[in-house]
Amino acid sequence: MDLRNELPMQMPHAKPTPGTRPSATSAGSSALRRLAGQRETSVALLLLVVVVFMTFANENFLTSRNLLNVGRQASVVAIVALGQALVIIARGIDLSVGSVIGLSAVAAAATAQATGLQAFGIGAAIGTGLAVGLVNGLLYTRLHINPFIVTLGTLSVARGIALLITGGIPISFTGWASWFGAARVGSVPVQLILMLLLAVVFFVFATRTRWGRNIFATGDNPTAARLAGIDVDGTRLLVFVLSGVVAGLGGLILAGTLGSAGPDLGRGYELDVIAAVILGGTALSGGRGSIPGVLLGALLMALLGNAFVLLGVSSHWQVVTKGLVIILAVGIDGVRRGRED
Amino acid sequence: MTPLIALSGISKSFGPVQVLTGIDLVIEPGQVVGLLGENGAGKSTLMNVVSGRHRPDGGRMELDGAAFAPGSVAQGIASGIRFVHQELSLAPSLSVAENLFLGNYLSRRSGFVDRKAMRSRARTLLEAVGLGDVDPGLAVSHLRAGEQQLVEIAKAMVTRPRLLILDEPTSSLTPAEAGRLFALVRDLARAGTSVIFITHRIEEALANCDRIVVLRDGRLVSDQSARETSRDELIRHMVGREALFAYRGGGRPGAGAQPRARIQGLTDGTHLAPISLDVAPGEVVGLFGLLGSGRTEFLETLYGFRPHKGGSVEIDGTPIVLGSVAAAVAAGITLVPEGRKTRGIFPTHSVRRNISASSLARLSPMGFVRAGQEREETDRLSSDLGIRMHSAQQAITTLSGGNQQKAIFARAMEAKPRLLLLDEPTHGVDVGAKADIYDIIHQLAREGLSLIVASSELTEILAIADRCLVMSAGEQVAILDRDEMSEETILRHAFTRHA
Repeated sequence: MDLRNELPMQMPHAKPTPGTRPSATSAGSSALRRLAGQRETSVALLLLVVVVFMTFANENFLTSRNLLNVGRQASVVAIVALGQALVIIARGIDLSVGSVIGLSAVAAAATAQATGLQAFGIGAAIGTGLAVGLVNGLLYTRLHINPFIVTLGTLSVARGIALLITGGIPISFTGWASWFGAARVGSVPVQLILMLLLAVVFFVFATRTRWGRNIFATGDNPTAARLAGIDVDGTRLLVFVLSGVVAGLGGLILAGTLGSAGPDLGRGYELDVIAAVILGGTALSGGRGSIPGVLLGALLMALLGNAFVLLGVSSHWQVVTKGLVIILAVGIDGVRRGRED
Repeated sequence: MTPLIALSGISKSFGPVQVLTGIDLVIEPGQVVGLLGENGAGKSTLMNVVSGRHRPDGGRMELDGAAFAPGSVAQGIASGIRFVHQELSLAPSLSVAENLFLGNYLSRRSGFVDRKAMRSRARTLLEAVGLGDVDPGLAVSHLRAGEQQLVEIAKAMVTRPRLLILDEPTSSLTPAEAGRLFALVRDLARAGTSVIFITHRIEEALANCDRIVVLRDGRLVSDQSARETSRDELIRHMVGREALFAYRGGGRPGAGAQPRARIQGLTDGTHLAPISLDVAPGEVVGLFGLLGSGRTEFLETLYGFRPHKGGSVEIDGTPIVLGSVAAAVAAGITLVPEGRKTRGIFPTHSVRRNISASSLARLSPMGFVRAGQEREETDRLSSDLGIRMHSAQQAITTLSGGNQQKAIFARAMEAKPRLLLLDEPTHGVDVGAKADIYDIIHQLAREGLSLIVASSELTEILAIADRCLVMSAGEQVAILDRDEMSEETILRHAFTRHA
């Protein structure tokens, strides 16, 4: 979120009233200009292009059933990406989230099976995420190991533990704790509702609270932040813990959706998650980023996956396209800002 | 004699902002010209036009009497014009020799880099800038900031320029290094190279330049021989006021009352020998020392930014916890650090959020930042300090250096300090902002705030300080009262441990 833009989320509420027509137009054009300057704009436009194209290309696309399906597919990536966005805004990176998804899912299923108590399963998933996040954060802030290296290490360790627990065999996960991933309210998947709720919570946290503000300041200039009296180490620890917790939740949801927890669950998710964050206009160099952008990024990627299925194109092309879209969206932004060296 | 370069009616605007208007300037071969002006006066833009980085919108340039319109920096360099910027452009992990010939490595006919030739030419160039004792094979990151600045100048000399433009070259040099640089400039001038020399230090320009040109608001306001002008006249040309360095103090609450701050034996165990100092309410204590004397280390240890190894600090009789910035801020100590760009600003943040960054705990009692109170307080401070901007929402990097510095000042004030520490508060700001900052310091002291101001400029210490703590090689060597303070005395103490 660029710091000027708490607006996009509020703009839909602005209704032009008849009496204020002239000023409303000028406000509209300046809002338009403001919108064009947002880093999320390029991904939003790409999203629109895909939606318009698919609406004409396939009659099954614009149905509530299909769109809800897309939303469901986007939700786990989006939820995990909310935490990742905070980490990246604070100038870190968390490569371990894919493995945390797997380990949390396994921990939830194994705990629920062993104790027979579903609530313990939920606690195990969240607790696992929190514990890995805490380890990441402590290794980074106390031992001063680069976060890329720290989380590359925990990526491997967490995956290995998941394999050790299961012996490589998936554990069934069908009790009521699977509700988060399996259930629907009406026709709307629970995980989609959860994604929207968490997005609002993260948005408010990032932009309205002092802890959120400190995340931006820490990423923008860590030395200046420390000199300004901001608890830089505490802030870094916090973002890694939050990232771990939402990754744990992601594992719980994914296992619920599948009805089982395999040790390979979430493998490669870190790349989708980081891509969603970057697509949404968050700068890898820290200090800048957007929570609404994260949702847009995750949606775009789910939408592309959906489009390929509906059009009957090989899923191998989907992998290629995903990469191209990331380069395109970030490239547009780079060209617009010009060179910085 | 045909002038080396002649500008007539040069104009340049960026979007709606007119940066240069009708500049006429003639540089003769072998002349050393000082270019003075406030930040934002157009000095850098003018030099960028001359060096080929920007194209002028109007006017013409002549080089050796022929029309000259460089389309790029590379063309400018090919024509013998070299602009050494203030920001360093060295590759830190490459060796000095590699940096000197970067992009232009000496090579054999086979295409392999000729290391031996590079080393020996590097040695000659380094000697010329006074770095004869630096090994050309050393990585640049091992050099001090001043030495790196000199390497940058040596790099410009590789192509034997006919016009050398130096942007504030002495800001990171020790007096000895600066002296050697000026000797080099005189040698170059004798050999026919012209030098344009951008600086904020007026004495330096008066002592070392043949001519001094002053820009104000994009216009050339004066162009005089250095012998015919004076410091006061130049300041008047630059800002339209004199009395910048007049002492404003006196009549403040003196000693006798309980000290605001009592520092006893504060040390970090490495750079600092124990330091003791009392600061009265409303008192400004100057902190002077040469480069490396431990000024910054002292302030940062006092502020809790660096670990301490002994000593105690009391604020209004209450001891404070050392070693934590948060504790220092809570106790009423705030610091405006040296190095605005690297240690001061949050570059992608708005002016407002830069100002409120230290005070969020106070502004958000339940964790949620009270936006109304934040806006009100930061707006009041911005207008009190005279920060020039369109809106507090604009990114801080869009402000001039002086206004950015005022915003960092505002951040410190927003935290409601009782003891304010300033480290080189006017480093790299223009004369106008400097005068504003002195006025602000004076005003704050009158309101009862205590200040410790570290500065490497004696004129600054003499203009603002009621007492002066002099440091030399990490030791406290003297505390001088106002009537004992003179340039000579202060300097003599500062050199105590530099025998």
